[in-house]
Amino acid sequence: MDFAGAGDGRERALALLLFSMADDEFVIGFSDSEWTGIGPILEEDVAISSIAQDELGHAQALYRLLADLVADGRDADAIAYDRPPEGYLHARLLDHPRGDWAATIVRRYLYDTADAARLDALADSSYRPLAELVAKIRREERYHLMHMETWLERLARASGEPRDRLLAALAEMGPDAGTVLAPLPGEPALVRHGIVGQPFATIETHWREGVGRTFARLGLPELPPTRDADHARSGHSEAFRALHEEFTMVRRSEVGATW
Amino acid sequence: MTDSNPPDRDDDAADGRTLEPWEVFRREKDGDPMRHGGSVMAPDATLALHYAREMYSRRQESVHLWVVRRSDIHDLADLDLLQPPLDRSFKKPGGYVMRDKLAAAREQSGRAKPKANAG
Repeated sequence: MDFAGAGDGRERALALLLFSMADDEFVIGFSDSEWTGIGPILEEDVAISSIAQDELGHAQALYRLLADLVADGRDADAIAYDRPPEGYLHARLLDHPRGDWAATIVRRYLYDTADAARLDALADSSYRPLAELVAKIRREERYHLMHMETWLERLARASGEPRDRLLAALAEMGPDAGTVLAPLPGEPALVRHGIVGQPFATIETHWREGVGRTFARLGLPELPPTRDADHARSGHSEAFRALHEEFTMVRRSEVGATW
Repeated sequence: MTDSNPPDRDDDAADGRTLEPWEVFRREKDGDPMRHGGSVMAPDATLALHYAREMYSRRQESVHLWVVRRSDIHDLADLDLLQPPLDRSFKKPGGYVMRDKLAAAREQSGRAKPKANAG
């Protein structure tokens, strides 16, 4: 990553935090938008598409904070689109492709709950622009969580294929769920400067407790520990490279164009 | 999604496996009455509310939503009952035209029509 404009340890750590959050929202937003037009029923098509759009909106707002912070001449769009695949800092959980409906619900449920825990720890951030944005984002994420919990419960309580597919998706993605809350390189600076309320390990513990209660209630297996937490946000999958190829395609078709 | 909701019914129609229509009522702003907005298809009340939220308030069009299972609505559409065929115009206040009678009474008493903001 290039942080030419980010000077001291605080700014560098803050930029990494913003990149990780923005890329998480951007990647899951773009990936879930693939359901538009092919949702299981019309109402759900609208619902998942609208949730995906919300995430792209959150990503845009976070990229704008980054553009202000890094101040290297790039605008939010340039930051969002003009990086090679390995330049993205989203969590490995989001490297999993959209998959079937159960996979989408599992990925979203795991991401939304982890993101909610992260947002809780940023509500009183000393970096005021972030705290103000987080207050708005949390209001929208509440509905996302409600919707995902409803669907997780529907699939978990159904017998046969819906539950089988849910369990298969959990087995596939469970070990990567914790990557959303894996410690960032600049974490000590983030905590010291009050940008994040608690260390990520503490946030992760709270998150695992909450998910654990829901899973126990639904008879789902406990989440496994995070696989390869040291590379939680690097070494992206082929599925992500294909997604990146797609979401940068139009922008690359005319470099420097004003759209 | 709201303050008080009845539990989902436990009969066949509410097993959560069958999509069925739910009627959506919405209040546009505080003080307005609930008005019928349209309908959504959903397998249960929770998802009906989620979908109603998407269809009828994702752009802040509502401050309050209700969803009602269409099969819970008792209806009456029998025109023999609602539009009785015999003339009953005498039941309507419109059967008595007061304007001409008032004008005649004023003329008789020699007084002009009172001004709207007299006094």
